[in-house]
Amino acid sequence: MRFAFTDDQKLFAEGLRDLLAKECTAAQVRAAWDEGIGHDFALWNHLAEMGVFGMLVPERAGGLGGDEVDLVLLLEELGRAAVPGPVLETAAVVAPVLGDAATVGTAALDGSPYVPHAHVASLALVPGGFVRTDAATVTAVDGIDGGRRLFIVDGAVEPFSYDEELAFDRGAMAAAAYLVGLSERMIDVAAEYARQREQYGRPIGVNQAVKHLLADALLKVEFAKPAVYRAAWSVAFDEPTRSRDVSMAKAFASDAAYRSSRSAMQVHGAIGYTWEADLQLWMKKAWALQRAWGDANFHRRRVADAVL
Amino acid sequence: MDLSYTPEEDAFRAEARAWLEANVPADPLPSFDTEHGFALHRDWERKLWEGRWSAVSWPEEYGGRGADYLKWLIFEEEYYRAGAPGRVNQNGIFLLGPTIMEVGTDDQKARFLPTMASSEIVWAQAWSEPNAGSDLAAIRSTGVLSDDDSEWVLNGQKIWASRAVWADWCFGIFRTDPDAERHRGLTFILVPLDSPGITVRPIAQLDGDTGFAEIFFDDVRVPVENTLGEVNQGWKVAMATAGFERGVSLRSPARFSATADRLVELWHEHADSSDDALRDAVVDAWMQAEGYKLHTYMTVTHMIDGGTIGAEASLNKIFWSEMDVRMHELALDIAGPEAERMDGAFERWVDGFLFSLSGPIYAGTNEIQRNIIADRVLQLPRGSA
Repeated sequence: MRFAFTDDQKLFAEGLRDLLAKECTAAQVRAAWDEGIGHDFALWNHLAEMGVFGMLVPERAGGLGGDEVDLVLLLEELGRAAVPGPVLETAAVVAPVLGDAATVGTAALDGSPYVPHAHVASLALVPGGFVRTDAATVTAVDGIDGGRRLFIVDGAVEPFSYDEELAFDRGAMAAAAYLVGLSERMIDVAAEYARQREQYGRPIGVNQAVKHLLADALLKVEFAKPAVYRAAWSVAFDEPTRSRDVSMAKAFASDAAYRSSRSAMQVHGAIGYTWEADLQLWMKKAWALQRAWGDANFHRRRVADAVL
Repeated sequence: MDLSYTPEEDAFRAEARAWLEANVPADPLPSFDTEHGFALHRDWERKLWEGRWSAVSWPEEYGGRGADYLKWLIFEEEYYRAGAPGRVNQNGIFLLGPTIMEVGTDDQKARFLPTMASSEIVWAQAWSEPNAGSDLAAIRSTGVLSDDDSEWVLNGQKIWASRAVWADWCFGIFRTDPDAERHRGLTFILVPLDSPGITVRPIAQLDGDTGFAEIFFDDVRVPVENTLGEVNQGWKVAMATAGFERGVSLRSPARFSATADRLVELWHEHADSSDDALRDAVVDAWMQAEGYKLHTYMTVTHMIDGGTIGAEASLNKIFWSEMDVRMHELALDIAGPEAERMDGAFERWVDGFLFSLSGPIYAGTNEIQRNIIADRVLQLPRGSA
């Protein structure tokens, strides 16, 4: 029993964090929103070069030949930066199904009628096969998260046999990890604000009511993390409890992200309710992903089916 | 990362399980917060010690097995799975013991650890005072050196001293330099409870038992050799002990996993399975217990790698104490009208509920823990308003 990451895994995640600090600033995320594309092609190429999309692809197919435990910290970093575009869908779901890291892919396996990122992905994995987006009618709807554009995709499903349950579990695990990263960032941003913003002649962070809002959010995040890491391990080693473990992780992460968004917004006060504040970049992503790939209720019930 | 157990860990588990199956009393012992129950629990501790299971994580020379934290967790899982008795000397074995190993002299280790492992001496803690609860540094009880510097002369009053009614010794902090700033000038001192000048007055708890007490010190004399750590450095020593209490050593996940499993059983036996809200709540409680276990395994791996836990221990304390209350609330919801009865089929759950309510208060209230998290983990400005 050893519940820790290797130095290599941690170093890779740190490298990604450094890259994203430079190449995926809040201003860049906002630009991707404002341009209406919800994607950053230059950043995508950086991530591809680093190997993020090839982590679950065998080396002989040009990937890094890693497993979900190798990937999970990277997903957390992507979330921390609110990276726009189909990053988790490609890295965690489509790439391992196709055995190919070069295809920009998306997926609609959670029962939603909307396909995220369909305008930039060349194919969408759906139950029973995939849809080529260039051979389909792709109609935009207005989603809450500008970095996760939503579409109705009307096109023929090309039958393709793959393990749909495994693909779903990978997607839910990846969304959970991404949500953990988002949560940490929201708490960091709110803590920084609470140190700076003064009222009554002192920083608002001195007030216990403010301290406790953030402590409660951190509590949920810190206890979601090990559940997410265990889920990654259970997927990587195809444990019999895989689906249960993934569902526990996604339920915890969805709840933690929502709590973090509420605490962070409340700490910001009126500024938190503005379009101008960057906080919305992480909050809206959190609100989208907390329900994508199954919401907390769905996943709690999947755990109940396994445990009760 | 490898979340499976090694053959060695499996073998250790099997050995613990076999011993516990052969030795755990068939019927639960009466509460250790009663005179008779206390004596029976001391006998049980002796039996554990004879099997070298009383302090598995301690070095062998003091009666332990030198087990690492992971093996200790495995032992705890087996211990609670077997329904074994509560640990009457937990103040000693899990709190004071590790502190003595960290800051005690060799003489102190030889003098106190073996009798602690065997529970020949059962320890009570004596920290809080009537005016020093959450604000522990407001301690007023004093220790003054005798004229020949050979003894401490202790005066004052301690309160909420767990196990003090029937325990043999207590440990506490006393103000030894009245001129120093509050957190300085305190010294950690070990005191036999049968010393002349000591009066112990039991306090009945919410559940009617007398698990804690007031201790009055009236010119109590103890040798200076009973000082743990340096003179006037008692706050630092006490914080190390408190860290053990909030962290992994007192509240291992096994206890809560066992409660969660019992709650699931209770749900199967007594609950209306068409009540989706209750089903969701029960599985949520199970997930909390599982989440706590995973978090502990991660913490323990970090510690085995040489890491330490600091303010993060406060996260643990909030999590387990609130989870424990939640699980008992749900059990009483399932019990329905029987939840009002102290002597019925749900007696253990009703008792457990009352006990669980102490969790968010003792070892530093959860509000204080949230302040600690905000100040030290999130780096919010100190001082509270």
